[in-house]
Amino acid sequence: MALLEIENLSAFYGKAQALHDLTFNVEEGSIIAMVGANGAGKSTLLDSIMGLTQTKGDIRLDGTPITAAKPQDIVVKGVGYAPERFNLFPYMTVRDNLLVGAYTAREDIETNLDMIHKLFPRLEERENQETVSQSGGERQMVSLGRALMSSPRLLLVDEPTIGLAPKVCLEIADVLKRLRDEFSLTVLITEQNANFALSLAEQIMVLESGHLVASGTSDELSSDERLAAAYFGH
Amino acid sequence: MGLRWHHFALWGLFAVTLFVLPEFVSRGTLRTLIFANFLAIFAISWDTLSGRTGYISFGHPFLIGIGAYTTAILTKRFDVAMEISIPIAVIATMVGGLIVLLPALRIKGSYFALVTLAMMELIYQLVQVIRPDLTGGTRGMSGLPTLTRGAVNGYYMSVSLMLAIALTTWLVMRTRLGTALSAIGMNEEAVSGSGLSVTKLKMAAFLFSAFIAGLGGAVYIHYLGSIAPRALFDINFVFTIIVAALIGGAGTTVGPIAGAFFLTFLLEYLRPYLPGAERYMVYSGLALILYMAQPKGMWELFFQGIAKFDRLGRRE
Repeated sequence: MALLEIENLSAFYGKAQALHDLTFNVEEGSIIAMVGANGAGKSTLLDSIMGLTQTKGDIRLDGTPITAAKPQDIVVKGVGYAPERFNLFPYMTVRDNLLVGAYTAREDIETNLDMIHKLFPRLEERENQETVSQSGGERQMVSLGRALMSSPRLLLVDEPTIGLAPKVCLEIADVLKRLRDEFSLTVLITEQNANFALSLAEQIMVLESGHLVASGTSDELSSDERLAAAYFGH
Repeated sequence: MGLRWHHFALWGLFAVTLFVLPEFVSRGTLRTLIFANFLAIFAISWDTLSGRTGYISFGHPFLIGIGAYTTAILTKRFDVAMEISIPIAVIATMVGGLIVLLPALRIKGSYFALVTLAMMELIYQLVQVIRPDLTGGTRGMSGLPTLTRGAVNGYYMSVSLMLAIALTTWLVMRTRLGTALSAIGMNEEAVSGSGLSVTKLKMAAFLFSAFIAGLGGAVYIHYLGSIAPRALFDINFVFTIIVAALIGGAGTTVGPIAGAFFLTFLLEYLRPYLPGAERYMVYSGLALILYMAQPKGMWELFFQGIAKFDRLGRRE
C-alpha cells in the first residue's frame, strides 16, 4: 500500500517552475531514492512534500491530502525531514538539537531518545557538545536524529552522504536500512551519489530539470545505457 | 534542560548579595543601582525577543512607552489605583504591541529593525499631538503617584522586580519553548522543517517580551513619579538597552543584567568628566572593544576566565 502518493506535482519559486507534473507513489516500509544532478529539483521535491514551497498538484499521506498543510501539521501527521547540509542549530548541544525535533511528540521523547542513542551511540557520548564543533558525519547523525524525534512514519532525507567519508556513508546506509527493517519506517532519500542509492533503495527514480525521466529497480535502471553512463558510472 | 541544585544556589547567592547591598553602599550608589535594575529589566525584555530569535528591535521604548503612558494616564487623569492601572498597562502593552508590531515580524533583518525604529518615532510624535490633555504633550506628566519613597525602598522594589523577572525568564528559557526560541535565532528554516510553527513561537517571544517591557515601564514611571516623552523615546535609551544586552551576553538571562549594571555605573562615573552626550561616545567605544573581544559578551568572558582558572589549577 502506498504511504505517500504524489500526483501531477509542480513546484514554483515565484514565476520559475522547478518541478513539472511529477507522479509517483512511495510504498509503506520501503526505501525509495530520487537521483539527479545539482539543480534537478531533488531538494525542491522534499521541500514541497513538507509544505515549504509553492506547489500545484496533489500530495497524499496515507490517503489524506497534505498539499496545502503547514509544515508543523505535516510533521504531526507523521513526516520527518532531515534537510541537506544538516540545517542544525550550531550553538546548541546535540541534546537540544534533538529536542527541537521532539516539539510535536511530547509523550515519546525518552523512547525516541533511546532509539536514537542506539542507532547513533556517538550522539549519546557527545550529547552536551555544541554541534558547531562536530564533524560532518556527526552532524548528519544529529540531523537524522532530530527528524526521528517526531516519531515519523515517513522519513525524508536530503542527500545524506554529501561531503561525507565513505565509511560514514556506510554507517548512514546501515542506519537507514535498520529504520526500515526494525522500525518499519518508510524512507525517501535524494542522492547525487547514485551508487549509494543503488545499494540501498528498492526503487530508484531519476529527476532531470524538474522532470521525472525514469523509475525502476537498480537492475532495470542499470540496463539503460544512457542512465547507466550518466548516473551509475558504467 | 535539566535544573540542578547549584543553579538555584547561585540564584540565591545573587539575590542575597543584592538584598544586603544597601547596608554597605551610599544612598547615591543605591539610586544608581535602581536605574541599573530597571535597565536590566528592559535589557532582559529586549533580549527575550531580539537576543533569542535574532529579530533585532530598535523600537523597544515603543512597548515600554505603552505600559508607562497607560498607567500614567489612568492614575493621573482618571484616579485609578496603581494596583489596577499597572496590570491594565501590562495587558495594554501586550495587546497594543501585538496589533502594531506583530505584522512586522513577517519581515526579517534590517527591515524589521527599521520598522521598529519607525514605530518608536511614531509614538513619540503621537503622544505630543494626540490628546495632549491626556498625555501631557511634549512636557509629559509629573506628580504621578509613586510606589515607594526613599532610595532604600526604591532599591528593594526595583531589585525584587528585576530578580522576579530574571528568574522567571531563566526558567521559561530552560523549557522547550526557550530552546525553540533560541533555535529561531540560529536557523529559522530548520525550525519550520522540524514541525514547529515559527509564527506562534515568534508571537510567544513577542508577548513575553512585551509583558516584561510593559511591567517594567509601568513600575518605572511610578518610581520616578513623572513621565517625559523626550527621555523615554530617546535614541540613546534604545542603544543603552541594546548595548547592555549585547555586551553582557545576548541570548542569556544573566548577561543583560551584567551589561546593565556595567553600563549604568560606567555612565554614572563618566558623568563628572563628560557631562554631555560625549559620554555615549566613550561607552560605545568601550562596548565595541568588548564586543570585538568576545561577541558572546561579558558573561562568556566570565566563563572563559573560570575555565582558564580551572585548567591552571589542574596543571598545578
